[in-house]
Amino acid sequence: MISFQNVSVRYPLGNVALDSVSFDIEDGEFVYLVGPSGAGKTSILRLLLDDIHASEGSITVNDFEITAPKFNKATELRQQIGIVFQDFKILPESNVFENIALSMLVKGFQKARIAKEVEEALHLTGIEDKKYLFPAQLSAGELQRVAIARAVVGDRDIILADEPTGNLDPKTTWEVMKIFKKLEKKKTVLFATHNADIVNSMKRRVIILKNGKLIKDKKNGGYEL
Amino acid sequence: MNEIINSLRRTPYQTFAALSVLFFTLLLSGLLFISLTFLQGLLNYVETRPRVIVYFQVKAEEEQIAAVKEKIKNTNKTSEIKFVSKEEAYEIYKEFTQNDPLLLEMTSSEILPASLEIDATKPEYLPELAEMLKNQPGVDEVQYQKDIIDNLLSLTSKVRKTTAVFFGYLMFMSIIVLTTTLSFKIALKREEIGILKLLGASNMYIRKPFIGESIFLGVLATALSNIILIGTLISMNSFLHEYFAGIPNLMTTLAGVPLQVWPFNLTFAIATLAVTAIFSLFITLISSFTATNRYL
Repeated sequence: MISFQNVSVRYPLGNVALDSVSFDIEDGEFVYLVGPSGAGKTSILRLLLDDIHASEGSITVNDFEITAPKFNKATELRQQIGIVFQDFKILPESNVFENIALSMLVKGFQKARIAKEVEEALHLTGIEDKKYLFPAQLSAGELQRVAIARAVVGDRDIILADEPTGNLDPKTTWEVMKIFKKLEKKKTVLFATHNADIVNSMKRRVIILKNGKLIKDKKNGGYEL
Repeated sequence: MNEIINSLRRTPYQTFAALSVLFFTLLLSGLLFISLTFLQGLLNYVETRPRVIVYFQVKAEEEQIAAVKEKIKNTNKTSEIKFVSKEEAYEIYKEFTQNDPLLLEMTSSEILPASLEIDATKPEYLPELAEMLKNQPGVDEVQYQKDIIDNLLSLTSKVRKTTAVFFGYLMFMSIIVLTTTLSFKIALKREEIGILKLLGASNMYIRKPFIGESIFLGVLATALSNIILIGTLISMNSFLHEYFAGIPNLMTTLAGVPLQVWPFNLTFAIATLAVTAIFSLFITLISSFTATNRYL
């Protein structure tokens, strides 16, 4: 469960990244965050990771009240969240298996369980044969699959995806979207995107942001600005 | 372990600089530790053997000397009194000057004084016995260990102070060099650290490889410095045996535990290793925590 109540983010020089945004996301929901650049999509994702702090309002993620004055559980919070970025953020000196396993190693899982879950994630993302390859040997689409695999392993029940198809060609974009579709109902997915085709073809809940304000929140919505 | 070695190989110059500084710090701290324990051992030895030496005038009669000996014995404050005749003194002198025949030619037993070597039952009796002896007929000079102990105490205190200043400086330099080296490596891995943090890695998880790396360097530097230290002690063994001839052993205490300093033994080698290893651990932990703190 994710809950935003009247959340604002203001930077010291006065610019407003988010202006009194409120919404609730149930467990297992798939939600698109859409809006032009600077609308506040990334700010919402960074708030959820406790990477930036809200100036006002309250944010709750599962049992964590991130906006509590003395919140100091960022590590535990992040261990419940999988992240997928436009630029992949894959460690260049580790192979595919190690990159995915990292998500579980930081949580202290046993080797046997790591091996089992990583194999499952490799299968889910269709890169079983790339297990021992290094990032330099992979295409953009394969790198994004590694990032998704890393996000789903290790009991992470929320997936935050920040423009995950931004660097991919149309064909690869749809392959990646198929993987996200497989995660539906199993994980809560918050998917920030510019891509109207994706939003319109795979209709889910859409939260539309503009200039830091939530202007629409529609079930089975489309891309509209 | 492979990760640590690979990481060190990727930055050979920084690794060499850090290892060199750590090595010299530990080598010097080991040398200072050995010097201090030796001095302390010597001080303890001298303190446990309270002795007054009284030299008689050359013309003093043996009866006079025997009377002094008897008088001193009757105080019941002595454990042993040894008479050294002129001839025995000459024999000792001959032994000392065997490499210098000219000196020996110029001396005979007639010009050397007879003496009494008086061991007191307690060190505090020494001044009293010395004062009493000074007033006896035929006595030329009285020497007792107060001077030696004072000198040793003063030397030990000076070495301790110098060691503290010198060691403080060395430690500071080592921490600075190691922190700088690690900071450079951490800066290279900034993006990786960022990813790890977003994945929910704890600060300790992120620190671990850097701590491991600096501890590895510390262990290597400790091993190298101890090989040199123990090698030096072994090579000096015969010289020290001559130098400390007549002294059966030198004892000191380390953290309240008795430790035999001389003759060299395995326990002393382990103690030296332990002391340098503790310094090494202290330096490496402080450095790695300081360096990683800037990025966490």
